[in-house]
Amino acid sequence: MMRVVLILLFTMASTLSIDNGEKIIARQGKVSFFSHTSVEDIKAENNQVFSIVDLEKGKVAVSMLMNAFIFEKALMREHFNESYIESDIYPKATFEGEIIGFDSAIKGEQTRIIKGIFTMHGVPKELEIKTRIENNVSGYVISGEFSTDVKDYDINIPPLLAGNIAKSITINFRFEYRPYDD
Amino acid sequence: MNTGLMTIRIILLFAIALTTAQSLCAQDLLGILEEEQQNGSSFVPPTFKLTRIAIGHSTEVRGKGILEVSAFNRFWNLPSDRSQSFIADRTSSRLALEYGISDRLTFGVGATSFDGLFDTHLKYRVIQRDKNGKGRPFSLTLFQNFRYNSSAFASSDLGRNFSDRTAFTSQILLSKKISKDFSFQISPTYIHRGESVFENDPNNFFSIGFAARYRLGSHFSLASEYYHTLNPVESIETFNPFAIGVNWELGDIMLQFMLTNAQSIVEDAFILNTRNNFNFRNPNLNFGFNATYVIHFKNRLKDK
Repeated sequence: MMRVVLILLFTMASTLSIDNGEKIIARQGKVSFFSHTSVEDIKAENNQVFSIVDLEKGKVAVSMLMNAFIFEKALMREHFNESYIESDIYPKATFEGEIIGFDSAIKGEQTRIIKGIFTMHGVPKELEIKTRIENNVSGYVISGEFSTDVKDYDINIPPLLAGNIAKSITINFRFEYRPYDD
Repeated sequence: MNTGLMTIRIILLFAIALTTAQSLCAQDLLGILEEEQQNGSSFVPPTFKLTRIAIGHSTEVRGKGILEVSAFNRFWNLPSDRSQSFIADRTSSRLALEYGISDRLTFGVGATSFDGLFDTHLKYRVIQRDKNGKGRPFSLTLFQNFRYNSSAFASSDLGRNFSDRTAFTSQILLSKKISKDFSFQISPTYIHRGESVFENDPNNFFSIGFAARYRLGSHFSLASEYYHTLNPVESIETFNPFAIGVNWELGDIMLQFMLTNAQSIVEDAFILNTRNNFNFRNPNLNFGFNATYVIHFKNRLKDK
């Protein structure tokens, strides 16, 4: 009995050490979004996005501050934060997911689907994003593009401005990773 | 036997502790990011979105390379019962341009149709409230206005000198964002008027303004403003101006709708020369409509 428990304990302890796998982090990731309508083009950039990847499990997480998005027009940033995305209530948008079929042994480029939950304006949504993963000498780079519908995130757009904001927003991202030490 | 059972229990307890530790470690990558992402961006949510609250200026300045083209309108009826006018008997409009020289300094010019006032102002943001209210809990903006009265005076003795037609308004605008929806402003005001119609009227006036904005929805807010003059003009009966209205903040266009007893739009004129009280008898109540169109000359993404 005693022996069984001890063995169990030992295996648990060993899984714990394996679990602390190699992680890489990006602290200045770039995320931009673009909305195109016949009335107006809206573009915003955020260069302070954080992302972390667990190389062994192929898991990835992204966290961005919504008020760090910079717009062409200064007033748009105020509207975006105060009236649309309500960054005082929902300061961050996050993504947590898994890289399907990720192999950290592959050098060079691989294209993979990342599947996970994207949460913005407090609304979670499942997304599948096609991404390019590069494993260079300098480290990992993950980049890609995807589109998502504004209406899915419970964002209030006054009818008068419905023509100015695209139904589907294109999002571009690029993260350059460095090794992460806990 | 008893001691053996005890050890097993301890070991089991240890095992449970280990599994929780394991799940914590394996847990979220987001948790790690939460710890890493400590300092936020420099963005401060606006205290008032418009550069005016209702009739007076707010602590907001627009920022470098931004031009505001505004039309300020007041409509009111004359006391006569049988007015022939369509919609309103009298209209006063002030057309104005305001340009952001730097992120702190704004320069503005305007001209009003009804009272013939030409005005110009400088507005400088000294202190901007910190994001979470830590450090600097309030905003402070200085406002200096100069206006020239171009209208014909009833008496030929008046208005001969340039100084008889001028007035200067200086304001210290102090605002605080109390919650995400509610903002409050206090505006101590000093006005120097060159003209004084009667000898016993003072040339220097002190007033204090109170203003507040409450956000009703994501694009709508309720705004109200009141100015109290400590030493009002004595030769004519004047009242303190009051305004209540809604501000509608749409993209590049910002609209203000209000009810007020002030007919004038330039600072010194509405603070000192409001001759009607706030009630529903004509010509006391005015309907005010301000429309501002914001033009950005600077692309924040390109010229950083």
